[in-house]
Amino acid sequence: MPRNRTIVNAQLMNTQSTPASAGNLHPLAAKSMSGAEVIVQVLADEGVDVMFGYSGGAILPVYDAVFRYNATHPNDDGSEPLPLIVPANEQGAGFMAAGYARASGKVGVAVVTSGPGATNMVTPVRDSMADSIPLVVICGQVGVAAIGSDAFQEAPVSTIMGACAKHVFLVTDASVLEATLRTAFEIARSGRPGPVVVDVPKDVQNTALTFAGQGQLPIPGYRARLRNVQSAQLDDAGCASFFEALAKAERPLIYAGGGVIASGAAEALRGFVADFGLPVTTTLMGLGAFDTTDPLALHFLGMHGTAYANYAVEDCDFVLTLGARFDDRVAGVPDKFAPRAKFIAQVDIDPAEIGKVKTVDWHHIGDLRRTLERLREYGAAHGIQPRQDGRYAAWHAHIAELKRVHALNYDHDSELIQPYAVIEAINRITDGRAIISTGVGQHQMWAAQYFDYRAPRHWLSSGSMGTMGFGLPAAIGAQFARRDATVIDIDGDGSIRMNLGELETVTTYGLPVKIVLLNNRGDGMVRQWQKLFFKGRFASSDKSLHTKDFIKAVQADGFTWARRLERKEELADTIAEFLAFEGPAFLEVMIDPDAGVYPMVGPGMSYAQMITGDFIASRQRAAGDETLRNDMF
Amino acid sequence: MNAVTQHTLTIMLQNETGALVRVAGLFASRSYNIDSLNVAATADPAISKLVLSIRGDDQAVVQIVRQTRKLIDVLEVSHQATAD
Ligand SMILES: Cc1ncc(C[n+]2csc(CCOP(=O)(O)OP(=O)(O)O)c2C)c(N)n1
Ligand SMILES: [Mg+2]
Repeated sequence: MPRNRTIVNAQLMNTQSTPASAGNLHPLAAKSMSGAEVIVQVLADEGVDVMFGYSGGAILPVYDAVFRYNATHPNDDGSEPLPLIVPANEQGAGFMAAGYARASGKVGVAVVTSGPGATNMVTPVRDSMADSIPLVVICGQVGVAAIGSDAFQEAPVSTIMGACAKHVFLVTDASVLEATLRTAFEIARSGRPGPVVVDVPKDVQNTALTFAGQGQLPIPGYRARLRNVQSAQLDDAGCASFFEALAKAERPLIYAGGGVIASGAAEALRGFVADFGLPVTTTLMGLGAFDTTDPLALHFLGMHGTAYANYAVEDCDFVLTLGARFDDRVAGVPDKFAPRAKFIAQVDIDPAEIGKVKTVDWHHIGDLRRTLERLREYGAAHGIQPRQDGRYAAWHAHIAELKRVHALNYDHDSELIQPYAVIEAINRITDGRAIISTGVGQHQMWAAQYFDYRAPRHWLSSGSMGTMGFGLPAAIGAQFARRDATVIDIDGDGSIRMNLGELETVTTYGLPVKIVLLNNRGDGMVRQWQKLFFKGRFASSDKSLHTKDFIKAVQADGFTWARRLERKEELADTIAEFLAFEGPAFLEVMIDPDAGVYPMVGPGMSYAQMITGDFIASRQRAAGDETLRNDMF
Repeated sequence: MNAVTQHTLTIMLQNETGALVRVAGLFASRSYNIDSLNVAATADPAISKLVLSIRGDDQAVVQIVRQTRKLIDVLEVSHQATAD
């Protein structure tokens, strides 16, 4: 790296330090520390209570500093304040950090080595970006002087991650390391959350520094935009025009996304619905943002959403979009989404989402919780109470009827175990209060459809990226975030194989994670698409000849409760025993390999063309399969 | 409204490692072709000025401007449509 560039960097990145008053001076300010010790101290200051990662040459100074920190700062009960959980593969560490973040709302932290350690982290970073999950990922890097020399275990992390993450820092100047770390946390958790990668060359970790105990990098553009959004108050005129439009509506609907969960607005949403009586459907990412057992809840919408939610979207005349983005699994054909809606309103913290896919009639860019509370205040002050006035009585009756007539349903008489029945049996015991993680495929959609979700942060699933292998490590991370909660990974035989090494991580750390493997001997979701679009040619999606014995595999990894369920009659008892077991438990259920996911709105189709299958009542004759085109994804 | 026209964007950028790559990468990954790009120093050594031109309809350009404003090291983006 040319010398002048380093000098320029040092100049530019002059840290922003506000003069500290004696009161808030960090007790360790002015202490001599290595770069690695500075990293660990900032992690501790940020409230990190667990990290996930795998060691290697370029990150060893940090690992050593973590070891020493834990040895010298034991908790009262003797446990480590900063336990570093070791996965089988860095991808596992990334998804553990993401599972932790999704279940807790706090920033998940992963620490990995350079080169392959960092590149194994690309998938979880991209996955977290796509689902707006806050992470800080610290990667070791080769020494500053070796960057660009094709050194051993060198990878262009800032370039690779720059394209995937919310932001990436390459710290070539040790004097800004401390401020950079702190800024990484700030960026990860503020605004629309996301993953931030900090690439730290080994010599920077070894540099002798003086700890400041305060200070962030100047990122004036980001902070100014953030301040604008955070201080944006919905004014009286905005409230008035919103309620004016709502007053004209007879069939208003709320379409709520993951943003409601990310912004902690679920309680505000509940209050809003209590006041104004708008029924709610959520996106897949928004499951739990509104109690799915509420009479006004329509569960989730979209490609595999409930038929009644999708019909309600067809029927509504007003849509209030909250922290959702009309993605292609929801609005495959944006022009035909909510075709009868005369007014679409949208609230989001990200200005780029307003009107990105669908033009809206009214919008507010700002914090969701505050916006909903502001609308409630305005409504109360102006005597707006459509619910109490019975304005939506007919609409509510219509919603109740849609839920009754078009309820989820399946083949109850089949000899084979139906996956839906498995989830229903678990849900009867957990009652919508277990934390559920999933792989990707049919089992993921069944888990989304057939479980209740009564509160936010109980549904952990790779929504936007759809990453197979997410479920097991995410469940591990979630169990670290919620030690007393029931955490269940609903997984597929294909998906679980992707991070199968993490089975051992469950037993190594003695986590009471419950794993349900819905085994349909293959990539069921792929087969479903091949049935629909490729005349049933099951290219590489059938695994009936694969020989893996999952029970032996989990036993080898130390699971003492491991069972294969093959008989329908044993379902209820087995599940009760499985959930009652105190430690890690693994239940493989051999399900009907032909079970499908219904309803289905095919790619490029409107909700009116939704296929509901043989057991869910359809409102109109479903469009024939011939209208599905296989060039649509 | 959907007419494709030439647009000039002026981006004030913090001079951080990789900042220019992130701007260029954003345009590439969202399928915008950069027709011309000029990077210049400013009086403040911490800030550089990018002037780039792209073609697109108004809505597409509004979207890429908003996405550019999400980059952490971007200070300001201004945009003008030029005659085609
Ligand atoms: C990492 C990754 N590779 C490929 C895919 C494409 N894909 C989506 S679902 C699926 C099949 C999943 O099989 P399984 O986990 O057994 O779930 P099932 O559909 O059978 O319930 C595949 C291959 C993906 N989503 N993620
Ligand atoms: Mg399968």
